[in-house]
Formats: sequence, structure tokens, C-alpha cells
Amino acid sequence: MQALDALGPKGPYRSRHRLTISDVTGVPMAELSLVPRLFVTRALAALHAAVTPPLEERLAALKRAGELFATGTVAGMTAAAYESAVCRMSGTPLANVRIAVEAIRLSATEAYRSVQAARPVGAVGDWRDPYARGGTAVWIRRGDVFAVHAAGNHPAVHALWLEALALGYRVAVRPSRREPLTPYRLVSALREAGFGTDQVVLLPTDHDAAGEILHGADLSMVYGGQEVIDRYATDPAVLPNGPGRSKILLTADRQWRDHLDVVVDSIARHGGTACVNATAVLVEGDPAPVAEALAERLAALPSLPPRDEKAVLPVHPLETARGFERLLLGKAAGARAWLGGDGVVDDLGDGSAVLRPAVFQLDDPLDPRLGMELSFPCVWVAPWTRAAGVAALRDSLVVTAITGDEALLDALLAEPSVKNLYIGDHPTHWIAPGIPHDAYLGEFLMRTKAVIRG
Amino acid sequence: MPTASLSVLDVPFDERPDPDEYIRAAMEWHFGPDTGSPFWLRKARTLDFDPRRDVKGVADLALFPNVTGELRDVPVRDLIPQGYGADARIVGVFESGGTTGAPKRIVCLRDWLDRLTHGLSADLDGLGIPRGVDWLAIAPSGPHMVGEMVAGTAARHGGLMFRVDMDPRWVKKLISAGKAEETDAYVSHLVEQAAHVLRTQEVGVLMTTPPLLERLARHDDLIELIREKVKGIMWGGAHMDADTRDLLRTEVFPDCALYGTYGNTMILGGATERLGLGPDEPCVFDPRTPFVTFSVVDPASGEPVPYGERGQVVMNHVSKSALLPHNLERDLAIRVPPPEGAAGDSVADVGPVAMFDDEVVIEGVY
Repeated sequence: MQALDALGPKGPYRSRHRLTISDVTGVPMAELSLVPRLFVTRALAALHAAVTPPLEERLAALKRAGELFATGTVAGMTAAAYESAVCRMSGTPLANVRIAVEAIRLSATEAYRSVQAARPVGAVGDWRDPYARGGTAVWIRRGDVFAVHAAGNHPAVHALWLEALALGYRVAVRPSRREPLTPYRLVSALREAGFGTDQVVLLPTDHDAAGEILHGADLSMVYGGQEVIDRYATDPAVLPNGPGRSKILLTADRQWRDHLDVVVDSIARHGGTACVNATAVLVEGDPAPVAEALAERLAALPSLPPRDEKAVLPVHPLETARGFERLLLGKAAGARAWLGGDGVVDDLGDGSAVLRPAVFQLDDPLDPRLGMELSFPCVWVAPWTRAAGVAALRDSLVVTAITGDEALLDALLAEPSVKNLYIGDHPTHWIAPGIPHDAYLGEFLMRTKAVIRG
Repeated sequence: MPTASLSVLDVPFDERPDPDEYIRAAMEWHFGPDTGSPFWLRKARTLDFDPRRDVKGVADLALFPNVTGELRDVPVRDLIPQGYGADARIVGVFESGGTTGAPKRIVCLRDWLDRLTHGLSADLDGLGIPRGVDWLAIAPSGPHMVGEMVAGTAARHGGLMFRVDMDPRWVKKLISAGKAEETDAYVSHLVEQAAHVLRTQEVGVLMTTPPLLERLARHDDLIELIREKVKGIMWGGAHMDADTRDLLRTEVFPDCALYGTYGNTMILGGATERLGLGPDEPCVFDPRTPFVTFSVVDPASGEPVPYGERGQVVMNHVSKSALLPHNLERDLAIRVPPPEGAAGDSVADVGPVAMFDDEVVIEGVY
């Protein structure tokens, strides 16, 4: 069994209190050191006391770390062994792990370009900039220490916080206990690439000590369900990341059949586990044919163990999978089932199970179930009407609007609770370096300060 | 029974009586018509055994029902053994923290507190904590016995004691109401008061709870002050995990003796940390037997668990001043063989069940 040590300010730390992490079939794979609250307190104090290295050093080290993470041997583990292990541990299909690895590599190597995109056009990065002679804004950090309560739904969630390192934050990451291997490898790679142990730490904890990480940091980002969003909604120091509730709108002026590939891809890419996966499809006109077509396409996805090259669907321990199924079927009562009405669990017979896609049809575009997001390809299809309008598309991380109605697009762009708007044939999961995910992280981490000098 | 046998109840502080002989004498005392408390004399009539005849030693304390629930409403004067006569020296009426409902009340008599504090002070000698230095206790006082116990120990050890009062019931109320910010503010208030004492006074011994120690450790200046002034830290009142203990000993307060107690109102005091164990050995608590004895049982069967296994702690307090046998506590601990000559069990790794609420299925993808 692999020891997944905490990575503290004095190096790796193996606690007595350890959690066994098993693969989806129940075979123990690793022992995760859970640090006590006092360790967190001390580690955060060390980050506060540390000094950020200069920008050029940081960017170079990030680039090295990204390459190392993606291709090198880190903490004794090759890239191939890592990909295989994380896929066994989390049930994420191998192909998706590879996508995540590439996203992390890209974020590390493109860090500068990525974070600079968030800088206000009136601001420069340094008071030495010539612009400061006539008076300008300088873009500065809102704090020095940034904490991340990471999620385990997809390894790619670890791409984002690399921007904080690029901006000069010292970073503390609390890994998800479902899949701590990715942040362990990433923090290890960052250290091997030159970041000091007082620049980035990995602090696995149980719930008891989790709050201490937020307390000890200047700013934090947390991932969680709706209750996490609600808890931190009014805390200016915490950036909550919750369910994406991404949606697709198909209006009557477009032939939905022409866009079926994009809709299916939006639902199923990443195994349906990402916040950018489509949760709802709204159809102007009769939604039944769309639901039927989606069900047909999604039903064709194969049930395979996660390490199979052709695997596309998420795998969980059987009991966990059953839990998701119960939750889904309970909520779906009364909805018209096109796929998954009898259940979504496909027992692989080795203690694990594939979660298969589900397609349900609802009658009301404002049915709250349209926002019910589960971590597998599960989609709610409903009729959309002009009367329901933008209201039916609120609270979405991404809306892909397949429509020619410019007034509607204006309204969607103006709607604050629609975070991203993709117009036409672009899947909800589309992302590129320099493009905001839920606004730029830099908008949260940085502010401007007026500077003038002689 | 000849009164000579009762003298074992008053053995000198440094002596440990034969456990079973001691228990038999205590039964004579607590169930003698002239010496027993009104509470126990009344209770005896409802028992299906005769304590003076059937309780022959520590193990037989398990015959008793757990009466601690009755301590919520029994008139406290009924708890005082009549054998003390009119001049019973009462230290005070103390109450439990109210974790499991309304508080329970006990009466603490001087002879017991003296025995208790003598033992603690002797332990501190063993730890090398100097006599004559002053103490700071950030601990419950008022109705809670721990404040009195620590004050008595400090005094016996030749120290003055500064106090920061902690109301554990209020903290519990805030926590259970989900008022994290208020809880935090209250704890900050405690830290602030402690900081003032630490800055302005010579404090040689610090007594507090593990959570408070951790909160003090958020402040580098307080860590410095404690390192500079404090020779010994006595902790109790809450669980301290092995990793935290190790960090405190090796990293945060490396030159300071750390001394744990596992206390409880229902035993009128606490069990204390076994000294001389290595850094990787668990923190073992030995009760001062036969006055206080433990057993570690399977909660389902009531039978003792094997040594090294985890079970629920059953506590007995048997002194001249009080009888509180066979009290099944909510704490869980590992059963450890007692030191040579001691009765019952010792306990290690006291605390809540090591529980990991693994990824629950929630609506949402994280």
C-alpha cells in the first residue's frame, strides 16, 4: 500500500491517524495521513511567514511542475502508474484522467497568460512599470495565503488553483478523501520543480480540522453541494464552487437533430461528473423526440471498468452506486423515464458498478428537478416556452443556447445567475486557457491599488 | 463489624490499600445504618443483593445499578455519609457538564479532595514540575469540580493560581445551535484573558483543555510566552489525539512537560497519564485505584473486551466521601492492563469512535 503523506512545511508528514483509500472494488490502495487541527494551524502559520518567490521563478517552476506532473516520475510514481491508480481509486475512466492530466499541465505551463487575462485593463503588475509615473492601477493580491478544499469528482479541479500560485499566493490544499492522489502528485511535483515546502502544502484532514484550514487562510475556495454554497454565500473570504446545473436550450428556429452530437457530448463527456456537464435540456416545442434521441444515443455507451481504454462512464463501489440510484429514482417519481427508469446501476461483479446514463422528461420548464445534478450522465428534458423565458435557465454555470434569437441571447448574457453563455454548436464543457470558468479566479484573488510615483 | 476494618478508608495518602479489603470496608461504611448516606441507605432496600455481604471486591461493584441518573434531582444533603457526623467538611457541591442532559450533582468532601490533590501533586513532582511556581487555569470553575481540583493541586504544589473561567455548558449550547461564530468569539475571549495573565505574570504551570491549547497555539506570541515561562502543561476535559500530543511535545512546547488527565465529575476527579512511556506509545490513563477504578466493556454485552481492544468505559468511585459504582460512561477507550498492584483496567486513546463519514451521497457532484 502506498503511503500518501501529508506534505507539510517541514516536508512529508506521516500521522498516526490514517485513512485507508480503496479502489472502487474495495481493494485497499493507499493510506492517507490525516493531520490534526494543530498541524493545520502550524502549517498555515508557516505559509503566512514565508516569502513569495519572484514571478519569473514561479512561472518557470510551474512550467516544470506541469511537465513533471504529466510525464515524469513524481514521488516514485510514473505518469502511467499514476493515471492507472487514480482511475482505479476514483472510478474515473482512464481517458478522462488523461484529459484532466492535460488540463493540469496546460494550466501550469500557461499560468501567466491565463492569470493575466483577469487583470483589469487599467492595471499593471508592478509599481516599477513606466505607467506608474503618470499614475496607474497596480494589480495586487488580496492576501498571501490561499486555501482550497478540493473536490474528488474529477482530477481536473486541481488545474484551477495553480493560478493562485502563479499570482504569488502560498497555497494550502485539502484533498478530497475520495481521490487524494492527484493533489498529492501535483504538490509533490511543484516541490520537486522548485516551490518551497512553505509555498504549497497538502493537508488531508477529517471534518474536524477542515474549518481550521479556512480559518488560517486569507482567502479560500471550497467545493461542495448546495449546503456549502449557502454556508459561504455571504463570506467575502470564501469562494464556493457548487453544482454547475449547466443547461442547453434548443429553440424552435433551429433543427435540434443537427445539434444532437453537441447535446450528447455536453451530457456525457467527463463521464457526466463535471459541473460543466449539461444537467438539463430545454426544448421549444415537444421535448419527447429530443429525449428519445438522447436516450437512444446515451444507451449505447458501454459499461466498462474504469481502466479500460474505451471506458466513458463513472464507476463507484456498488453500494455508493446504489445510493445514487436510490436518490435519482426517488426524485424522478412522476417524471417520464426515457432511460434509467428501472435504475442506472450496472454491477461489474467485482464490487464496483458503472453508473449508466439517465434521461427523464418533465412537463414544466420551472420544475426544480431540472437543477438536480448527479455525478454521472443524468439529464432532465423539459419543454421551454417564451413565457418561461430566461427564468428557466437561471442558476447555470453554463448555458449553451442553440438559437438565433438575439434578444434572448441578450437577456441570457445579462442574467447574472447564468455564469457562462455559449452560443450555437459548443458543448457546455468547452473551456480554454484564458477563458473564465466561473468568472476568473483572479477576480477573487486580486484587487487594484492606485499608484503614482515621481 | 469491628471499626478497625474501616480504618483502611483513611489510609495515609501515600499508601494504596488492598483493593478488595478496601471495597469491603467501603461497603460497611456506606451501608452501615449509622454511617451510610440517606441516599444509599434508601437505595439499599431496592437492591437484590446485600452490599455488605455480597460485594467482596472491585469486580463485584458491577452488581450495582448505575445510579448516576438519580443525581440530577436527589437532594444533595442526602449524599453525605452520616458517619462524618455534624462536622463533615464539605468542599462544595459540584455538577457535571450536562453533556447527556440535565447536570448531575455530587458533594465533595475535604478528605477526598486532599487525597486527590496529594496524588496529583506527587505526579507533578515525578514530572519535574517545580513546586512554588504559579499556575494559570483556563478551565471550568463555578459548579464544576475541575476548577477546585486544580486550585487545590496548585495550592498543594505551593503555587498561586490565576483563573480564566470557562463555561462548558454555554460552549456546548453554541456548538449544538450551529453558532460557529459565537463559539469562536467566546473562545477568543478566553484566549485574550489568558494572554493577559501570560504577559503580566510569571506562570509556571498551565492547566487547560486540548482545544484551548490548540487555540493558544494559533498565536506565535503566546507560544513564545509559554515556551519562556511555563514548565508544565496539565491538560484534561477533552480528548487529545496521539498526533496532536506528539506535535505539542516535539514541536510546539518541546521543553515543557505535558501531563494529561482524564477526568469526570462522576468519579470526583480524574485518572492521570502514565509517566515514562515512549513517544510512540499511546497516552495511558491510570485511575488512582482502588478509590477510582475502570473497566472497559463491550457495550452490547457488558463483558470486558480483550486487552488492546476498544470498548466503553465503566467507572467506579469508592471513597469514604462518596460511592458511585458501575457508571457506564459515554467514552470509548482501549483497554490496557493496569500497573502492578492496581485494580481494574487502565485506558488509552480515550475519545469518540474513530469514524470517517465517507463520501455521502448528496445532491450535487462533489
